[in-house]
Amino acid sequence: MNRWVALALLAALALGAGLRLARLERRPLHNDEAVNAIKTGELWNTGRYVYDPNEHHGPTLYYATAAFNRLTRAPDFNDFSLARFRVVTVLFGLGMILLLPLIADGLGRRGTAWAALLTALSPAMVYYSRYYIHEMLLVFAALLALGGAWRYWRDRKVGWAVVAGVGLGLMQATKETFVLSWAAAGFALALNLAWNRYVDASAAPRRAPPLNRRHLAAGLGAWLVVVLVLFTSFFTNAAGPLDSIRTYFPWLQRVGGDSPHLHPWSFYFHRLLWFDPGKGPPFTEGLILALALLGAYAGFDRKHLGRADPNLVRFLALYTVALAAIYSLIAYKTPWCLLGFWHTAILLAGVGAGVLLRKLHPRALRLAVAALLLAGAAHLGWQAWQASVVYGADRRNPYVYAHTSPDVQRLVQTIEKLARSHPAGKQMLIKVVAPDSDYWPLPYHLRSFSHVGWWDTLPEDPYAPVMILAAGLNAPLDEKKTHLMVGYFELRPEVFLELYVELGLWKKYLADNPPPPAPE
Amino acid sequence: MKLMQNSFRRPAPRAVLSVILATLVGGSAVRAADQLVPLDIKLPSPAFKGTPKDIQLSSYVEPLSDKPRPPMMVPAGLKNVAPDAKISSSDKNATADILAKLVDGDKEASDQSIFYLRKGTQWVQLDLGSPQEIFAVVIWHAHNAAKVYHDVIVQVADDPDFIENVKTVFNNDQDNTSGLGVGTDREFFETHEGKLIDTKGVKGRYIRFYSKGSTESALNEYTEVEVYGRPAK
Repeated sequence: MNRWVALALLAALALGAGLRLARLERRPLHNDEAVNAIKTGELWNTGRYVYDPNEHHGPTLYYATAAFNRLTRAPDFNDFSLARFRVVTVLFGLGMILLLPLIADGLGRRGTAWAALLTALSPAMVYYSRYYIHEMLLVFAALLALGGAWRYWRDRKVGWAVVAGVGLGLMQATKETFVLSWAAAGFALALNLAWNRYVDASAAPRRAPPLNRRHLAAGLGAWLVVVLVLFTSFFTNAAGPLDSIRTYFPWLQRVGGDSPHLHPWSFYFHRLLWFDPGKGPPFTEGLILALALLGAYAGFDRKHLGRADPNLVRFLALYTVALAAIYSLIAYKTPWCLLGFWHTAILLAGVGAGVLLRKLHPRALRLAVAALLLAGAAHLGWQAWQASVVYGADRRNPYVYAHTSPDVQRLVQTIEKLARSHPAGKQMLIKVVAPDSDYWPLPYHLRSFSHVGWWDTLPEDPYAPVMILAAGLNAPLDEKKTHLMVGYFELRPEVFLELYVELGLWKKYLADNPPPPAPE
Repeated sequence: MKLMQNSFRRPAPRAVLSVILATLVGGSAVRAADQLVPLDIKLPSPAFKGTPKDIQLSSYVEPLSDKPRPPMMVPAGLKNVAPDAKISSSDKNATADILAKLVDGDKEASDQSIFYLRKGTQWVQLDLGSPQEIFAVVIWHAHNAAKVYHDVIVQVADDPDFIENVKTVFNNDQDNTSGLGVGTDREFFETHEGKLIDTKGVKGRYIRFYSKGSTESALNEYTEVEVYGRPAK
């Protein structure tokens, strides 16, 4: 790899790390992050994880976090910080820049450098790198599979077949939607072959050596080992591999319409290309789409590609279109699903930037456009900062979805203070009641309290020193005057919790927490 | 979930458990001869939940109750004395033009109808010109989304510095973080109806409205206030 490309990758890595690691604790914990954190805690505390085919995706995230925790000698689960979880997905987000050398001879030097920079700065990539969910691991595994497959296609060395197999296995063990990526890849591969044979036969690649069965078997073996090891929870859960197939029954139900996440086909493009709900900056990653279109066109046109390989570029273009179409046609949508096709669009955009600069003459014009592209990249970086830090949990951010309100932190702080005023401290009894278990991420925040009960409906005896109730229950638990309803707390936009506190405890709390000086 | 169940089984110090026991039995008598044993509380574990439903941005949110507010009975002949009042605020960035929105009769949820005061406990104050007998006030902070305002306090006084004859007619600052006394009123959702407060004919020339951010933001929003009264005798 060229020294300048290596330097560009390092620069991208530094920029990407800066954006991904800054103020990781600031954004409140999302429902899904909290569920993943509790599952990780269970694995960390008990050494046990069992794949659940009904919800919560595959085991990779939990085992990756466990490995990270072991390497960094993590403390007790109760002392984990939010950053400890989110750093894991950040590492995978940054790892995608480090994987680029695997396909650098397919993207070309300039294409690789620009792809690294855009991966580092794309607001979607930055935002979800800081999000403790499975998506970034899925995209990382997809790039690993692509890198291994591409290298094997070029070199026919068994090691690359194994890398591709590991990547495919990790995809499967990360999230059930890997099948969509595989389908898109199969479609792109078939169409690319057809293109070479029937449309542009003169440009067909040199005849590669025939596929080696031993190599293929090694790749398949690697895939199988990864899948079996992870789904059986390291050979402790025999039902795991079968459950990884059974999982499609509930998922298909959701895709078929039994879900609160049904959105129109344009859902992803609205968020990626122009999102301007007012009273905040408009967000757009349109520059990436424009460059990706140019790169894709060049893959078919085969002009100005430089050292980029048209076969890989065409494959990426067809894969991106197919995967975006699949995700858009499926009614079930959550915004992080866009990462799969947006990452390959970024790779194409890298190629597109190289093509654009190669096309332009004279040199002054090329330099001017390069400066413009850098300004556009800087704007993406600015948006990434706005999305990840300034508007991290704000609905004006296109990547925020059903997010926990910052107000929950106020609730948790109040409960922590109440425990300090209660003789039992963190053994104080807390009752939480919310229909449909709609109290997350509180189980994470209250994990160090030993006497917390969680109900979907009001229990026969709802009273306790501290009660947290969904406001929608309209439970008048302060009518007996033994308890006070001391405030509403916003769990998510338009979803509220009520905090009830025993009168005596509340008086003690007030005495222990004297008010600040009165305002002038 | 095992994690939580395991933590419930941890042995607790006797003194702590005694307190829990006393709390749970609601103060019922425990005979001295009775041997105290740890109370085995079976608490349900949290159930995992999938990604919750996302709420789209909207400029109008239905009120939380579909029942109209019952009418408040007041003496005949009252009028809204707020529009003629001189307005001031703790936020010195709020100019007279901005503050005028408070009594312009525009109670809509649009951005044009709302103005903002900075973070922390802030107030707006009306000088009614002469002592008034006030029977009701209505406050609209902002009803563009379901939210709850914190530390809503309404005080009436005879002087602009709120030193003489200060009467608190509403206070939901239950933890006294604004330092004006422990409130006993409940928090409320912002709705298009506004918050109606029965002030029971309290007398005063100056009326002050405090707030300290909402569940949505640390900033303080105000749309409109109305003060229903008549000249004090």
